[in-house]
Amino acid sequence: MPIVAVENVWKRFRIPHEKRSTILDHIAGALSVLEGKRYAYEEFWALKKVSLELGEGESLGIIGPNGSGKSTLLKLIAGVMKPDIGTIRTNGTIAPVLELGIGFHGDLTVKENASIYGVLMGLHRSEMKKRTEAILEFAGLNRFQDAKLKTLSSGMSVRLAFSIAVETEAEIFLVDEALAVGDMEFQQKCLDKFREFKKEKKTIVLVSHSMGLIREFCEKTLYLLNGEVRSFGSSETATTRYLDDLKAVT
Amino acid sequence: MTVLAEKDFKVRYRNSVLGFVWALLNPLAYMAILTLVFSYLLRVTIPNFPAWLLVGLLVWRFFSIGTAQGLFSIVGNPSLVSKVYIPRYLIVLSNNLANFIGSSLEFLVLLPLLVWLGVGLSAYALILPLLMVLEFLLVFALSLSLSALNLKYRDFYQLWDIALQLGFWLSPIVYDASLIPARFRLFYSLNPMTSLIEAVREIFLQQQLPTAFDVAVVLASVILFLALGLLIFRRSEKRFAEEL
Repeated sequence: MPIVAVENVWKRFRIPHEKRSTILDHIAGALSVLEGKRYAYEEFWALKKVSLELGEGESLGIIGPNGSGKSTLLKLIAGVMKPDIGTIRTNGTIAPVLELGIGFHGDLTVKENASIYGVLMGLHRSEMKKRTEAILEFAGLNRFQDAKLKTLSSGMSVRLAFSIAVETEAEIFLVDEALAVGDMEFQQKCLDKFREFKKEKKTIVLVSHSMGLIREFCEKTLYLLNGEVRSFGSSETATTRYLDDLKAVT
Repeated sequence: MTVLAEKDFKVRYRNSVLGFVWALLNPLAYMAILTLVFSYLLRVTIPNFPAWLLVGLLVWRFFSIGTAQGLFSIVGNPSLVSKVYIPRYLIVLSNNLANFIGSSLEFLVLLPLLVWLGVGLSAYALILPLLMVLEFLLVFALSLSLSALNLKYRDFYQLWDIALQLGFWLSPIVYDASLIPARFRLFYSLNPMTSLIEAVREIFLQQQLPTAFDVAVVLASVILFLALGLLIFRRSEKRFAEEL
């Protein structure tokens, strides 16, 4: 049984050419349609015909230039967004670390935010209480546990998100370039954790621009270009293809 | 979900007992000023006017604060929508739950005051939790539609704000429903808040069972708005993450 199965997934976004976010905008927009103007937005397929499968203990790297659909795919796998066409099935609990950290409520303390996040990821409340200590320890934020979350720096907040995700004992980790924000010491800690996960046969889905990282942790790699699969297969092949493409451009 | 409700509760009362005291002060201040205006200046002759008024205010308060905050539950919690996946209606539900607990506490704390103001407690008071649950469901049903609409139309809250202000005066909070001319009566009583407020007053002030009509109107509107809310919410929740 595959751990992650992505089948013929398409995802569409709309790029509006006029701002329509309020009732008044919509009324004004409707009036201009009466005058014969069209409601202008462009359709943009962020992902086209993406399919892949991950077996047990396999990890996936996702590479490609900015705007090629990497983060979108990760969000689809996390279930945060839904594909317009196609299906995504996952088998196991998911711990997503999507873009720039967390912040459920800036006015609550670091500790409170951590426990909310943990429970949302499926940990039991009593279990979470016990783990909070370990999480703060891993994030190196012990001193700040009673500080309001909004006072943390963005790097600290990413560290927090990452530490909680690591402690939730999920089976699938989705990591979106989160590592790039942490300092060297923290990155090292995270990599050690990843190595542990690999030993435990857990699945890591890693969006990264670091080919070295991808080659070390991921058996398979998906190279996305303009929303399409340019290459999917062994990490060696896919990363080489990406680097070759880069050379061809420059 | 209880964790989320707790979060909303903490944020609402800023984690302090004092925050709750402020929440109590609001309806009390309203009661004082409205009693002054209506029973001393306008000479309204409703028996037990302050208690009668306070009951109406408390019921209305849960509705107005519950829906006004429920409306922001999605827009105000971007990370719950776009950083992790949980069923989205839970975000709305937990927000409503926090307000439900807050409002129930308000009733509980102000109950002795109501007694002091001349309200007799009887076994009928035990119906209050049931009515509160119905009101909670009504608030949840409306919050589903409102939170989805407020995401699509970012100024929707302005419209709801006006609707709430009109609703306050279109419900029998500061005047008795019998003042409404007979030809408008049917239309007027279709407002579920009218029935809800009257039902709560019936159990506290008249000390009798709420009329079947009032209960029926509340139940019917709960079902109607719940169906509508689920429909709107289901349709729009797929695009929540990208519209935030």
